[in-house]
Formats: sequence, structure tokens, C-alpha cells
Amino acid sequence: MISKFQIAYKSLLRKKVRTLLTVVGITLSSLVLVSLFGFNQGYEKALNHDIDNMGYQIMVMAKGCPYEAATLMLQGGKGLRYMDPGMVRDIAKRPEVQATTPILMQAFFDPNKGESGGIAGYFGVDPSSYPAMKPFLRFRKGSWFVSDTAREVVMGYEAAELEQREVGDMTMVPEKNVPLKVVGILERTGTQDDGTIFVPLKTLQQIAGTDKITTIGIKAKKDADLVRLENELYQLPDVQVVSFSQVKQTIMKLIGTARVMVLSIALIAVFIAMVGVANTVLMSVYERKQEIGILKTMGAMPHDIFVLVWTETLMLCAGGSVVGIMAAMLCNGITDLFIRRLLPYAPSGGLVAIDFRLALYTLGIILVVGLLSGLYPAWQAGRMRPLESIRSE
Amino acid sequence: MRRKPHDTRIGMLLALVPALLLVVLAALPAFGAVGCDLNDADRDVPRLFPGATRYQSIYVSIQKKGGAALQHRIEGRLGERHLALYAPIDVPYTIYEIYSGPKKVGYIHGVNQKGQFGGIQVFIAQDLSGKVKTFYIQKMTGPAAAKMRDPRFAKHFVGVTLKDFDSYDPITGKGTGRLAHVPNPAPEMETDFFGVLRGLKKNLVLMDAFIFSGGNP
Repeated sequence: MISKFQIAYKSLLRKKVRTLLTVVGITLSSLVLVSLFGFNQGYEKALNHDIDNMGYQIMVMAKGCPYEAATLMLQGGKGLRYMDPGMVRDIAKRPEVQATTPILMQAFFDPNKGESGGIAGYFGVDPSSYPAMKPFLRFRKGSWFVSDTAREVVMGYEAAELEQREVGDMTMVPEKNVPLKVVGILERTGTQDDGTIFVPLKTLQQIAGTDKITTIGIKAKKDADLVRLENELYQLPDVQVVSFSQVKQTIMKLIGTARVMVLSIALIAVFIAMVGVANTVLMSVYERKQEIGILKTMGAMPHDIFVLVWTETLMLCAGGSVVGIMAAMLCNGITDLFIRRLLPYAPSGGLVAIDFRLALYTLGIILVVGLLSGLYPAWQAGRMRPLESIRSE
Repeated sequence: MRRKPHDTRIGMLLALVPALLLVVLAALPAFGAVGCDLNDADRDVPRLFPGATRYQSIYVSIQKKGGAALQHRIEGRLGERHLALYAPIDVPYTIYEIYSGPKKVGYIHGVNQKGQFGGIQVFIAQDLSGKVKTFYIQKMTGPAAAKMRDPRFAKHFVGVTLKDFDSYDPITGKGTGRLAHVPNPAPEMETDFFGVLRGLKKNLVLMDAFIFSGGNP
């Protein structure tokens, strides 16, 4: 005996183009919806990963815009102002502080990058405290500097790739023309460290002609009251305190606005697709009026007709959303690249994380909304009077 | 028994959708290791290829064009064991196809080459016969890099073809022909001078493998 699914499938195939267009509409709306859910989940995860990999929870830097400073820090840019290195000792004395590390971010103009020159950024770090804060950094080859005044560099994987450097090669600080030896190349981390060139702090201070620093990285003790520590640090003169939990909150707030807008568009897309589903099924019901009438005269109950028409809706929605979700999963990388181009700051790692749970969740939403939109056509079909239907043109 | 053709059609339909998706995705570029792209293609293309009205970026990898066998052939032609540091076989090379109106008129392509103090990015614009129209060093590090990036130095390479390297070896610096007579604008950066020449040869060999001998992708 032929099943309800087979009848519904055959009905849908009667108007192939109409069915295909409806499925495409559902596919696109599910693709947008699941990608947006994936972005919701992935962005925060990637941001957390970036912040955890900073190795310290709080940064203290000379007064300026904290968000610009944080972005510069995350992306490895030039610091805004300089600070007195003596401040490191003062901060280290506080009971909540486990460790501190002084950092100098310095940028030099390289006239031989592209048509109009570019900036080469260097990260001056203290060899006695910085590596301990980042124990997860692994060397592809080589190791950290031999001394705090060594004329050496350690390169992140992508920096070494771009500069075509191996351990033992020389590199040169543009603008100052100071040669430095590459002593270590880090494994890829998927964070901003990949593009960073690390130099011993004192060496970079000497090259830049300053004895100051731009930043102090602070690692708090596990049970420390971070809010209290932040408030205490705010009392220091002429400094800006950047806590990564604050940075995260601010970035998430900024992203939240964009997320609401995209979610609205996705919901409109889902709504339009569902109107399309209702229209397709309703048209199909009206075209089969006589057929439905015959079914009823043969003993089919309103419930049977209702279920039959509803099955068509289910098949349209299930087919479209499964394809849409699969497409979203397969196009994950492309969506990621697209979003990265649009966002002012995108953390490293995958921005769109679509997992099985999310796929099922989206499928559920589309099916529920789809079945709701199929209620009216199914109800219309179920209440048709057999003889009137058979007589109709 | 009557159900069979019907079931087969459903199966075919279900199998076709992911298959089509995979075909579409396979045609898209892969993003892996650092390639060599123009910093600002919209600005650089008309400058490097005067007369160009538009361009199209295509992505080619040795993996797709011939795999390990092609890589060995290219390394053999270059006389070097590694094409570039950290460049796996599937690294995507960006080739800019240049158009003047509807007509394709040439290509622009760049390579990374190891230099004394950093990576050198050597770009060439070629006409459809493979002859160099413009030579451009996008990036170079060193005290005399400006001399190597000088347009007067670049002019020495206008008209060069892969054939010019038949009589000149950029690894030993020995040979005859026009390349042997190219003066080093910065004698203190001899390693980089030969690095530039090796980059030029690598660029020409890759373009020959990808486009001129290997067929247009």
C-alpha cells in the first residue's frame, strides 16, 4: 500500500519548479539562521580563547582610550604612551598579584613595504617573566633569548612564514637598521602571537631609544578579588586599567547590536519562506480539489486529508532545512571569512561554530514554524465537502 | 516491485544535493598558509599592467595542478629543494588575470623568496606569451632595499622570458645573456640581489607550470 509520504512526495513533484523554489527559500533561510546561531556561539568562544591565551587577566597602560589600547594589544600594534618601569615593582607588591611582566610595544616605519610603506611592530618582553606567563607557547624550533640584552628575536609562526625566516637567520629592524638574530620560531597557536615578533625588552628599549614601557601584564592569584584589584589599580596616577573581562563585555555589546540586526533579517527570511510554504501547499490543495473530494467519497476522513497535506509541508521544510544546515556547515569557512571582513575586530579561531546540537535546534525551529504555516492549508483541505469538490472546475 | 523506480528517484535526489554542494565548494579557493598577494590589488593592477580595465583573481596550487610529481619537476627546474619556506604543496598561489575590456591580456603573479634580512615578494606582470611587462618588488627588508625597489632596476627585467634563464643560473650567479649583465644596484646586498633573480625565475617557472605549459585553469 502506498504511504502518506509517497503520496505527498508525488504531489510535490507535480509542480517541480514551484516546489524547488519553495525549498530554495527554506534552504536559504535555514542557512542564514543556523550560521547566525553558529556565530553567536563561535564568536564568544573564540574571544574567550584569545583572552585566555593572553596569559594575564589585566593590563595597565598609560592613559588613553582603553578600547583602542586593548585592540592594539590584541592585534599587536603600537602603544599609545609610555610608562615608568618602576610601576611594575609597585604593582607586584600587591597581595592579589601573582606575577607581572613589563612590555614595550614599538612600531617602526618600513618604507620598503608596498607602495607607500608600512608599519613593522615589535613586542619587547622580559625573558624572566613573560615566558612563565605563557607556558602554552611551544617552539617549532629554537628557544627564548639567551639574555635580556641579546640582539635576538623569537618569531610567531606566521611572522616567520611571511619573513621567510628560520632559526639562525638574521632579520633587521626597519628605520633603525639594527640586525637581530632569529633564535626561536613558535608553533602556530591560532592567536595574535602567530604574527608577533618578540624581542628582549632591554634590547628593544635600546633600539627605540627609551627606558620606558607601554604596558604591564598582570596575572592575578586564583582566589584574588579581580574587581577590587582593578579598583586599586585605577588609583595609580596616569594609568589606564584594561581588564579583559571588561574588554570582552564591551566587544560583546558592540557585536550584540549587529547580532540583533542580523537575527531580525534572518527571522524575516524565515517568515517569508514560511509564507512561501503556505502558498505552495495552499495552491496544491486548490489544484487537487477534485482529487481530495474523491478521496473523501472513498472513505478518507478530514483527519486523513489534514495529515496528508501537513506531510507535504513537513517534507518541504525538512528537505529545505536539512540542505540549508548542511550548506551552512560546509560553507563555514567562507562565512567565517565574510564575517571577518565585516567586523572591526575578530578574534582568532573559528567565528562560526555549528555543531550537531545547533543543527538539530535550527531544524526544530524550521519544522515547528513550517508546520504552523501548513496548518491553514491542511485545515482547508480537511474541511472540503466531497461532492462540492468533485463538481468544482 | 512498482515502488523501485520511485525510491531510486528519491535516493538520486537526496544524493545529488550534497554532491552538487561539494562540487561548488571544491571550486572555491582553499585558504591555508601565507601566499603572496598584492597589498592593494585595485590600486596595484593598473599600475603594474597599464591598460588593464579589470582583473580576476584565480587560485592555483601545485597539489591541484599535478601534485608531488609537478613539485619535483618545478624544484628540478629551479635547482632548489624547497620552493619557499613553510610553503606546503597545497599553498594557494594567487594569479591575477588581467583584462582590457572583454579581452584577457595577461597575468600578474607574485612569489615569496627568502632574502638576507626578511622575505622578498617578487611580482611580475606578463603578457599572454609569458614575457615580463613589469617587474615589482612589493616587500624587501635591508639597509639598501630601496635601491633594489628602484624602478630603474626593475626596468632591466622588462622583456625577460623564462628562456633567458637557460643561459643564466641565479644560484651560482654564472652564465651569459641579458640577465648576466643586470647590474647589482646594492653590492652590499649581494644575497638579496641573487634572491631577487631566484624569485624572478621561480615566478616564471611557476607561471609556466600553471598557465603557459600547464594549461589555463
